[in-house]
Amino acid sequence: MKSSVAVIGDIDTVTGFQLAGVKINKVVKTNEDAENALDELMNEEISIIIITEKIADNIREYIDKKIGSNVLPMIIEIPDKPGPSGRDSDPMGELIKKVIGVEMVK
Amino acid sequence: MAQETMEGINPTRMELLKLKDREKLAVKGHSLLKEKRDALIKEFFDILDKVKGSREKVEETLKSAFEDLTAAQVIMGDLAVQKSALSVKESVEVDINSRSIMGVVVPVMDSKMDEKTLIDRGYSFADTSVRLDEAAKKFEDALALIIELGEIEKTIYLLTAEIESTKRRVNALEHIMIPKIKSTVKSIEMRLQEMERENFVRLKMIKSTIETDE
Repeated sequence: MKSSVAVIGDIDTVTGFQLAGVKINKVVKTNEDAENALDELMNEEISIIIITEKIADNIREYIDKKIGSNVLPMIIEIPDKPGPSGRDSDPMGELIKKVIGVEMVK
Repeated sequence: MAQETMEGINPTRMELLKLKDREKLAVKGHSLLKEKRDALIKEFFDILDKVKGSREKVEETLKSAFEDLTAAQVIMGDLAVQKSALSVKESVEVDINSRSIMGVVVPVMDSKMDEKTLIDRGYSFADTSVRLDEAAKKFEDALALIIELGEIEKTIYLLTAEIESTKRRVNALEHIMIPKIKSTVKSIEMRLQEMERENFVRLKMIKSTIETDE
C-alpha cells in the first residue's frame, strides 16, 4: 500500500519538512486548529503523520481518542525548533513499565 | 482459605464428568496462552533493542537540521526560505505492509527516498544559501529516521496492548477459573462420596432391621 507523509507543526518545522519533500502539511497555532488538521489528514487517509511534541501534548486526549489501538495512521512525535521539550514522563518508558512490571534501564 | 465454588451446578456424576473436561480445557488453554505471552515478551525485547537510541538519533539529526535552517533563514530571510521550500518537489513515498507477530498485525514501512542531488530539489541556486542545501539534506535524513522510529514505536505500542490482554487472560485462568473448577470438582466428589456412605449405612440399617424382625 502506497502512502504519503504529512506534517502538523509550526511554520519552521513545516518549512523544514517541505525542504525534505513532504508536501502535505498543516501549519497550526491553536489546539482547535491542530484537531481540525488531524481530522482532515485522517479523512484523506494519510497514514504517517508527523506532529511536534508540543502540539501533541496539547491535544493528547484528542489523539488518543482518535487513534485508539488502530494500526493506522501512525502518529510520530518529534521535537520542534527549540529542541525536545524535556517532559518528565517518557511515554514509551511508562508503557514498558506497565507491561513488564519493572522499569527497564535504557 | 475456603475456595469459591461455581454456582448452579448439581452434584451429579454427569456434571462431574463435564467439569473435568472443562478443567482439562482450561489447563490446556492456560499453558498455550502462557506460551503466547512468553513469545510476545521475547519479541518485545528484541524490538526494544532496536528502539534504543533511535529516538535520540532523531532528536540529534533534527537539532542540527534546525540549526542549518535557522542559519539559512538568517542569511536569506524567512520568506525566501519558504519560497524555496515550496518549490521542492514531492518526493517521499512510503510503502506500508504489515507483518504478523503471534497474531498481532504490525506495520512495516518501506520508505523510498533516493539520494537527491541539488538539481532534484527544484529550487534555484542563484538566490539560495548553501546552508539551505545543508538543511534540506539533514531534513531528508531526519525524515527517514523518523519513519523508521514511527514503525518501531507503533509496533511496541501494539505489542504492549496484546501482551497486556494476554497477561490478563493467563492470570484470570490461573488464579480464578482453574481453582474454581478444581474446588467445584472436589466438592462434587465429596458430595458423591457422602451420598454413597449414606446409602451404605441405610442398607446396613435395613439389613439389621430385617434380621431383628426375623
